[in-house]
Amino acid sequence: MTALLEVQQLTRDFGGVRAVNSVDFQVQQGEILALIGPNGAGKSTVLNMVSGVIPPSKGEIRFGSQTMTRVPGYEYAKIGITRTFQNLQTFDDMTVLENVMVGMHTKTGSSLFSCGMSLASARREERLMQERAREWLERVGLSALSSAQAGSLPYGKLRLMEIARAMVAEPRLLLLDEPAAGLNHTETAEMSLMFQQIRQSGTAILLVEHDMDMIMTIADRIVVLDQGSKIAEGTPREIQENPRVIAAYLGGEEQEDSRG
Amino acid sequence: MKQLIGKWGKGLGIYLVIMILFPFVMPDEYYRSVGIIIGLHAIVSIGLCLVMGLAGQVSLGQAAFWGIGAYTSAVLTTEFGLTPLLGLIASAIVPALFAFILGRAIAGLQGYYLAMATLAFGYIVQIGISEWEPVTGGANGMISIPKIGFFGDSELSMYYLIWGIVTCVLLFSLNLMHSRVGRAFRAIHKSEIAATSMGIDVRKFKLNAFVVSGMFAGVSGGLYAHYMGILDPQPFGMHESTKFLTMVVVGGMTSIWGALIGALLIGFISEGLVLLSEVVPGLQGDVDTIVFGAILVLIIMFMPEGLVPRVRSMYERGRTKKAAAQTGQRMERKAAS
Repeated sequence: MTALLEVQQLTRDFGGVRAVNSVDFQVQQGEILALIGPNGAGKSTVLNMVSGVIPPSKGEIRFGSQTMTRVPGYEYAKIGITRTFQNLQTFDDMTVLENVMVGMHTKTGSSLFSCGMSLASARREERLMQERAREWLERVGLSALSSAQAGSLPYGKLRLMEIARAMVAEPRLLLLDEPAAGLNHTETAEMSLMFQQIRQSGTAILLVEHDMDMIMTIADRIVVLDQGSKIAEGTPREIQENPRVIAAYLGGEEQEDSRG
Repeated sequence: MKQLIGKWGKGLGIYLVIMILFPFVMPDEYYRSVGIIIGLHAIVSIGLCLVMGLAGQVSLGQAAFWGIGAYTSAVLTTEFGLTPLLGLIASAIVPALFAFILGRAIAGLQGYYLAMATLAFGYIVQIGISEWEPVTGGANGMISIPKIGFFGDSELSMYYLIWGIVTCVLLFSLNLMHSRVGRAFRAIHKSEIAATSMGIDVRKFKLNAFVVSGMFAGVSGGLYAHYMGILDPQPFGMHESTKFLTMVVVGGMTSIWGALIGALLIGFISEGLVLLSEVVPGLQGDVDTIVFGAILVLIIMFMPEGLVPRVRSMYERGRTKKAAAQTGQRMERKAAS
C-alpha cells in the first residue's frame, strides 16, 4: 500500500538557522500520526510545509501520487489537505456558521457575478454550504452558537470551530497544530474522541501536540523531532520507552551523544 | 427579485421609501441635482467599500477610475458618435480593464505600498487626462456631451435613473457580501494564511474586488459625464479620491450600507458648507478639504469601525440587555410565585 503522505528529506532554513533538517516520514491512509518534540524542535515548521504555508528549502512532499512541492498554497484544500492553526486564525467578524461555510470554498464554485445577482445556482450552493456547515457544527457541538460572532467565543470553542471549518472541506488529510492547547481535561478527552471518529470516517490525521495523554490515547504512530531532526518513530509504547526520546525531553547526557 | 429584496428587509424598505419620495419632499430642481451627485458618489463608495472594507485593500485612486469612466463615454459619444447607452457600457469596461492591469501589477503589494501605488495611479491618470489634449480637450475640458435620452433628460428622470442604478449596485453588493465570494473577500481581510488554507486564491479574489470597484466607479463616471454635459480634469484627482475614502470610513468600512450612508453624509456636509459660505465671509475655496480631513481624523481616532457598525452594535447591545432584563424579571416573578 502506498502512503497517503510521504515526506522525504524535508529541510527548511530560516536565515542561517536550519529549523528542520532532512526529515522523513509517512502518513498512511486512515491513520493518526503524532508529531512531538520539545519546544523549537521544528514541528510547526513541518506542518506549515506540509500544508503549503511555507515552501521547503529542500526535500519532497508527496500526497497520493502528486508532488506537492510546487503546488500553490490555495490548491492544497482542493487536493485534500486542510488544517487548523496553533494561534487560531479565525474570521472574527463573521458568525460561527459563516466561518465554517468558508471551509466549503473548494466544494463550491459560484462566480462573483452569480453571487452578486443571487442567481438560482448561487442560492442553491449557499443552501448546500449552510447545510454542511450546520452538520459539522453539530458534530463539534457548536450548533447553539452558530449565529454568534466568532470573535465573542472563548478559546476552546474557537478550536472546535476551526476543526469544523477544516472538516467541511472533506479532506483526506487533516493537519492539527496543537488542538488541545488551552483546553481543560474534559474538553481534551472529548476532542480525542472526535479525532478517533474522524479517523474512522476515513480522514487521516497528522497532529502536533504537547498533551501526552491525548497523544498516547489516539496516535497510531509517533514521530519525534528534536532540534529539527527526527530522532525516533514508532508506536506510543515504543516511543515511551525510547531512551533518545526520554533524553531529548529531559535534556540529559544521552542527547549530546546522539548528536555526535 | 422578491427573494432578492426580502432578504434585506426593513433597511431596504426604508431606503426605497426615502429614495423614491425625496424629489417630492424637496421639489426644488437644485436639491434634485444634489441628490443626483450624491447617488453618483454612492456608486463609487459602495465599490470602494467592496475593495477596502471587504477585501481589505486601500485605494487612494478611486477618482481615477471615475475619471476614466467619464472620459471614455464622453469621448466615444462626442467624437465617435456612439449613443450614450453604448458609451456607458464602455465606461464600465474600460475602467475595469485599467483596474485589472493595475491590479495585476500591484497584486503583491499591501498596506502603505498599495496605498502609494494607487495614489500614484490617481495622479498619472489625472495628468494623462490633462495632457492628452487632442482627445480629452486637456485642461479646457470637453463640452456638449450628449444627455442621456433613453430615460428622459429632465432632472427628475435623471434622479430616478441614477438612483435606480445605485439600488442595483447596492443589492448586488449586499448579495455579494453574504455569499461564497464575499466571504472569501472577508476571509482574506482577516487572515490571508487561513483563507489560503481554505482554498481561496488570495491574489485572484483581491483582483476581482479591485476590478468590480473600478467598474462601479467607471459607470458612475460615465453617468456623471452625460449628466453634466461638460467635463474637465479637475474633479478626478486626489481631492475627490480622499472624499470617496472619507465616505467609506465615516459610514463604516465593513458595511455596504455604511458606504451609502457615508456618501449621503458627506454630500449633506458639502451642501451645508456651500450654504454656510454664502453667509460667512471667508469660507470660500477649499474649505471642504479641511473639513473632510478633520472628519477623517476624528472618525479614525474615536470611531474607527465607522458609523453603521457602531450604531448596529449599540442597538444589539441594547437588545441583549433588554432581553436579559426580561428574563431576569421572569425569573424573579417565578421565584416570587
